[in-house]
Amino acid sequence: MKITCINGSPKTRRSASARIADALSAKIGGAAECVVCGAAELDRGEAPAAFRGSDALVFVFPLYVDGIPSHLLRFLDESLHDIAEAASGATVYAVVNNGFFEGRQNAVALEIMRNFAARAGLRWGLGLGVGAGGMIHAAPVGRGPLRNLGKALDALASEILANQTGEDRVCEPNFPRALYKALAHAGWRKSARKNGLKTKSLYAKP
Amino acid sequence: MPNKKSVQLILHDLRPDAAADILPPSSARRLLFAASPPVHRCVGCFGCWTKTPGKCVIGDRGADFVALLSRCGELVVLSRMVFGGLSPDIKAVMDRSIGFILPFFRHAGGETHHAHRFENPPDLRYVFYGEEIADAEKETAKKLAAANSLNLGSGRSAVEFYQTVRDCAEAFA
Ligand SMILES: Cc1cc2nc3c(=O)[nH]c(=O)nc-3n(C[C@H](O)[C@H](O)[C@H](O)COP(=O)(O)O)c2cc1C
Repeated sequence: MKITCINGSPKTRRSASARIADALSAKIGGAAECVVCGAAELDRGEAPAAFRGSDALVFVFPLYVDGIPSHLLRFLDESLHDIAEAASGATVYAVVNNGFFEGRQNAVALEIMRNFAARAGLRWGLGLGVGAGGMIHAAPVGRGPLRNLGKALDALASEILANQTGEDRVCEPNFPRALYKALAHAGWRKSARKNGLKTKSLYAKP
Repeated sequence: MPNKKSVQLILHDLRPDAAADILPPSSARRLLFAASPPVHRCVGCFGCWTKTPGKCVIGDRGADFVALLSRCGELVVLSRMVFGGLSPDIKAVMDRSIGFILPFFRHAGGETHHAHRFENPPDLRYVFYGEEIADAEKETAKKLAAANSLNLGSGRSAVEFYQTVRDCAEAFA
């Protein structure tokens, strides 16, 4: 069995999407061949060839303006027929992570992926919306605030291996929402200071 | 300067010849922004929030969109329908425009959203074109417009569908 994970974050290796894709492929482990490909392959137009013979395509990407990052969208749009041809028997899964706490805010992006699968004539598996992507480096996946994420990826890995379909799901960290907000705000102020800006200038109206 | 409420900004992905045919001319009350040829994609750096707040750090014309958005009362997006959402060219402009809002969170209707950088953010009107748009895609598009208007805009949105670029002229009649 061959499973192809596509990391759709423009931040590639430093991204939440990379961590999620790595954790998922570790869980799939020896049970199947699992390749992860990223934005560089998409840009170079090598991706459809890498998809060849896949039983599952797992798109892992950040939520951008309630949708798909433009470069990933462009790839899906322009390579629709090549993808459909290279991975004709594949089931499509998607894992979308977002900055806000609520995992359900990824629902529209998951629908867009479902519509993509329909247009490509591929079978839709299911989607997972991961809230509070900003927490991803707080602990190893499966530990502390990322226990829920670990469980959600365990379930997804077995569903992918069993070639199952299902309802879209969401997952949020084992961490209070109010504290996540406070930490996010502190984080923005800290990066402003690092860039030599006062908190007040973050509110600029250029 | 005309009153902000009365200013319309049209973001579209038409080729120049089609744009000249279909769209009304630009004026003090009507600003046009062509998404094609495509602007550089967002690289996810958040510089528009923490380096040059309110402006994208990438130096092409994609960085000018937020300033236009801050001057209008209505944003009309004319887009080819792609999988129930915006086209890649339009999406590249939208992704480059999160500097329009603040990094700080607010809570609305049990959900987190961003606080507004500018007062009176615009109403959103999405005009999609495409042959044989599926019903599921129409439903997705309505949800997308509603979600986008909660984050970027006033919370008010409208969505229309047309089959061809030519039919879209009706949207501006
Ligand atoms: C251009 C842009 C648009 C974004 N839009 C949203 C959004 O609509 N909703 C949301 O919750 N987070 C949004 N985010 C936040 C990202 O989804 C979040 O930072 C995510 O964890 C990034 O994942 P990555 O590290 O895999 O790239 C946006 C970020 C960027 C750069």
